[in-house]
Amino acid sequence: MSVDAWVAWALIAGMGLGAFFTRAIFVLPGSHLRLPPTAERVLRYAPAAALMAIVAPDLALVHGALSVSIENPKLIAGLVAFGLAAGTRSILATIAGGMVVLVLLK
Amino acid sequence: MNLSRDEVSAFRDGALAAVPLLVGIIPWGIVAGVAMTAAGLSKVQAAAMGVIVFAGSAQLAVLPLLIAKAPLWVMFATGLAVNLRYVIYSAVLAPYFERLSWAWRALLSYITVDQTFAVLVGKYASDDPAPKHWFFLGGSLVMWSVWQLSSLVGIFAGALIPQEWSLEFAATLSLIAILMPLLYDRAVVCAALAAGAVALGTATWPFNTGLLAAIAAGVAVGLTAARFNPGGNGSKAA
Repeated sequence: MSVDAWVAWALIAGMGLGAFFTRAIFVLPGSHLRLPPTAERVLRYAPAAALMAIVAPDLALVHGALSVSIENPKLIAGLVAFGLAAGTRSILATIAGGMVVLVLLK
Repeated sequence: MNLSRDEVSAFRDGALAAVPLLVGIIPWGIVAGVAMTAAGLSKVQAAAMGVIVFAGSAQLAVLPLLIAKAPLWVMFATGLAVNLRYVIYSAVLAPYFERLSWAWRALLSYITVDQTFAVLVGKYASDDPAPKHWFFLGGSLVMWSVWQLSSLVGIFAGALIPQEWSLEFAATLSLIAILMPLLYDRAVVCAALAAGAVALGTATWPFNTGLLAAIAAGVAVGLTAARFNPGGNGSKAA
C-alpha cells in the first residue's frame, strides 16, 4: 500500500502547521490572556473525545460491523489495555500487555 | 554564546528530569514509526513527519484515516482536535517565556510535549527568575532526540516485521495509554464515552466525517456533564 506523494506531503505540512500554531498561539505573542473556563473545557474534552473516537471503532468493529463479545480478540485486548493504562500509567505496560493478550487470543 | 553556570545547570537538570520519561517515549516512538510506514508513507516521509509535525498522538490518530483514504480536511480536523490540548499549555507557558526572544519562543513552542510541560510547571512558578527556558530546553531536547531515534527504529524495523504480527494494533494500544491521563474527571470521561459511542454509530459515514461528528458530540456531552457537576476541577493541569 502506498500513499500519493502529494497527499503525504500536504498532510505533513498541514499537520506541522497545526501542531506548531496550537503550541505557539499564546507563547509566541507573549500573551497574558487567561482562558475562560468553558474554552478550557472544550480544549480538554476535544483531545480525549478524538482519541476515543479513533480507538473505539478499532476495538469494537470487525469488518464494519459491531462486535461486542468475547469472540472479538481486539476488544478484549483493548479492554485489558485500558485496565493496564489506568492501573500502571505506563505506555510500555499498556502496549506490551495488550499485544500479549491479542496474540494469545488469536 | 556564553552560558552562565546557572543556565548550564538548569539545562542539565532539565535533561536529567526527562530521563524517567523515556520509558514511555521509546515504545511510543517505535510504534509510531512502524505505524507510519504501515500506513503507506515512505521512509523519508515518515521521518519528515516525525520532525515537522512532532506530535505523536496526532500523528498516530490520522494514520487510520490515511489508510482509509479519508480527505485531507478530515485528517487536518482530527489532528487539530487531538492537538487542542496544546492551546492550554501555550496559555500557561506564555508568561514563563515572555521575556525571551522571538526565536527562543518559537523553538520552545515547537518542542513542547505533554510530559515536559507537566515537569516545568510542577517545578517552577511563571515569575521564578531561574533560567527556566534552559531547564525546559534540556528536557525537551532529550525527549525530541529520543523520540526521533525511536521513531527511526520503528520506520526501519517496520519493513522487517511480518504483517501477521498485527503490529498496527500496537498503535491503537499506545493511543489508549495516551488517552488515559486525559481522563482526569467525570465530565471528560463522559465526553470520551460519548465520542466513542457516536464513532461506532457513524463509522460508515462518507469520508470518515463520522469521526468529526463523534468529537463534536463528545465535547457537547462533556460540557453538559460539567454543568451538572460543577465540583469537577476544570483547571487542574493534566
